[in-house]
Amino acid sequence: MIFANGELRSDREINAVIAELEIYDLPGTLSGPPLEADTVLDALEALGAELDSGALDPLIAQYAPPGAREELERVRPQISRAALERRLALELGGLAGPRPFGRSEVRPLGVLLHIAPGNMAGLPAFTAVEGLLTGNINLVKLPHGDKGLTLAVFQKLTQLEPRLAPWLYAFDLSSQYSGTIKALAALADGIVTWGGDGAISAMRKLAPPGCKLIEWGHRLSFAYLSGWDGMDLSPLAEHIVRAGGLLCSSCQVIFLDTGHLSVAERFCKQFLPVLEKAAASHYKTPGQAAQAALYARETALEQTVDRTGSGDLNFPGQSCSLTLRRDMDLELSHLHGNVLVKRLPRQELIPVLRRRRGRLQTAGLICPDSEREVLAALLARAGVNRITAPGHMSDSFPCEAHDGEYPLRRYVRVVDIENPQGRTETAPEQENF
Amino acid sequence: MLSRQTLFWLSRVYDLPGSDARFLQAVRDNCAYHIRHCPEYRLICEAEGFSPDCLHTIDDLAKLPLLPTLFFKRHHVSSMPEWRTAMRVTSSGTSGSFSRVGFDWGCIFAEIPMVLRLGFYHKLVSPVPARYVILGYKPGKQDRMGVARTMFGLTHFAPPVGRFYALKWKDGGYLPDLDGAVKTLARWARGALPVRIVAFPSYLWFGMERLEELGLSVRLPKGSKILLAGGWKQHYAQEVDKSTLYALARRVLGVEEENIHEFFGAVEHPIFFNTCKKHHFHLPAYARVIIRDVRTLKPLPMGEVGLVNLITPLINATPVTSVMTDDLGCLTPGEDCGCGLKSPYLTVLGRAGLNDITTCAAGAAELLGKGEMP
Repeated sequence: MIFANGELRSDREINAVIAELEIYDLPGTLSGPPLEADTVLDALEALGAELDSGALDPLIAQYAPPGAREELERVRPQISRAALERRLALELGGLAGPRPFGRSEVRPLGVLLHIAPGNMAGLPAFTAVEGLLTGNINLVKLPHGDKGLTLAVFQKLTQLEPRLAPWLYAFDLSSQYSGTIKALAALADGIVTWGGDGAISAMRKLAPPGCKLIEWGHRLSFAYLSGWDGMDLSPLAEHIVRAGGLLCSSCQVIFLDTGHLSVAERFCKQFLPVLEKAAASHYKTPGQAAQAALYARETALEQTVDRTGSGDLNFPGQSCSLTLRRDMDLELSHLHGNVLVKRLPRQELIPVLRRRRGRLQTAGLICPDSEREVLAALLARAGVNRITAPGHMSDSFPCEAHDGEYPLRRYVRVVDIENPQGRTETAPEQENF
Repeated sequence: MLSRQTLFWLSRVYDLPGSDARFLQAVRDNCAYHIRHCPEYRLICEAEGFSPDCLHTIDDLAKLPLLPTLFFKRHHVSSMPEWRTAMRVTSSGTSGSFSRVGFDWGCIFAEIPMVLRLGFYHKLVSPVPARYVILGYKPGKQDRMGVARTMFGLTHFAPPVGRFYALKWKDGGYLPDLDGAVKTLARWARGALPVRIVAFPSYLWFGMERLEELGLSVRLPKGSKILLAGGWKQHYAQEVDKSTLYALARRVLGVEEENIHEFFGAVEHPIFFNTCKKHHFHLPAYARVIIRDVRTLKPLPMGEVGLVNLITPLINATPVTSVMTDDLGCLTPGEDCGCGLKSPYLTVLGRAGLNDITTCAAGAAELLGKGEMP
């Protein structure tokens, strides 16, 4: 399915849609009045009101995966008008203003092609919203398994604000259509790629030279525990079960600030019942419980088949498991409530984590208060971009950066305009807003 | 290794108690074969302390190492070098991960009598030639999908004199052509030869709705049948939906309920399950099913809902002896059906990971919208 100019069209029309984009739609829209952030904010506010009133619940129930409603509840504050206005001010503030030569203006890149992620419902819509807020035309290649949610949201949004229609396009195509993606890439000023190494390398090959690449690659996150005796580990357990390891910010490995295997074993025995309890309360329906049991079974089989002779210690639980490995590497866990445990004494932290530089994202830190500053500084120096309480690893915070950067800043360019009356030599440096 | 043939050449196709001994022996031999030839399966058996000697009674089948279908998607395990297998078939995975199951010649030799006996039993076999409208994939070199092969196989119960495929491979993807199918049906309805529609249930549903939308209703010639396959996963047993489907078939195609047959099987469990005249999937002698608790995976008593574990000693090339599907279902005593068969029947109610049961129409809407394979 294709969404273009506020209408749904059949896949078969893809070539026609691309031709229309190139010849009429993109030049037409770019020659017309720019998209004001206020127009976007108004539309989002109206959409938010519908969401809060429950008017969108049938849509979410029909299209979104289980648990999406709760997830949405958690991210709802981030798409409020106030939060988005704060982001605009924080991320773009100071880019425009008088300069010694005249002035600087912030302009959209132009046309953004988004290769949207499939690991979290709502993200394909969110990436497009970021593009809209910065005044760009957005072509969104939807992930496989989007199930119509994004298309429905875009339809709703353009019904609420028809002026958004020429700025929003979505393509629900299989990745087999690489010719189509290449044709879309040829129309873009910037390509926003979300996804794993495969998706990112593929897009680098497809992008024409001169097209700006904005990559939100897969990241790895972990929990770091130091002096955890007597501390409440249930928020960490709930996070592991709820996020299922599927997000860049979700915990793959629980690192323990110890060199002793016996200490780590003791931790596993202590933590497993906490994890089982979180799993039992999270997997409410038989369908969810069944899936968790299948993943736990698969984990046990993979440990047997793929890790023979590795010396791993397995702690299988009901609907979840812990695997204590002897190395220190940060790596992907078995996911879905099946998490890795490793020893990582703090003096090893920087050399070990540096092996994963460019991949690190969140560290959920559990430690005595007196150690928090020291450990947070150590983690930051190792390349970690977010340090949170373990229960908040996958929460989004107002005004936070994304993988160490401000996204909106990447979707705009700064245009310097010389004052024809001559340079304003005396322009004050501090005149930023 | 003749124990397998002894089981699959059995003539009483629904006699479970009468086949228990043969089934158990065939499973023992099948397991021993996989342990000898598949290093991964051997490791799993060792880790779980299982050996074929553990199987004394039919209840001991629950002790077989359980391999989820996910395992076959992530590990392309094999008990036979590829040159010794007859063919390789894949499940219809769309997200790039799919199971790959090899079939040995002995397996094919065992499948033929099973399919023929069940085909005769369910009156699918006919000497009268038929025209086939396939609302599914055309098998081709481009893929090795089990469903395409099953559907193609189903076009041989009556000698085929014409086949129309509604899903065609074009430019690296499948494109649905429902309108073409509708036109073909209307044309063939005027002929004398019976028409057999082989379809994913969801596609049949949409095809019939399209007919009704166009204000068309055809009377297919006498002896016409509808054979539903492969759409199992989009088509959970909901009596309401099914009765609506049957009523629609009567209205727009003129096909009576007793001429609608359903089948299921999985690439990892290619047993030819047929519906009885009451539309229930009774277990044939060639398979056993254990329903397992969704949390503990322990076997559940008859009637309770849980994960569906399918067991058969059919294949030597791949260790699919005991496969854990991601379907939720239950077993009901055969006597409760009323069709006369004593063998328990399996009802599939949903799928792991989903909160609700997807209705047939919603599933099909998604498929048709995307023009992708289910």
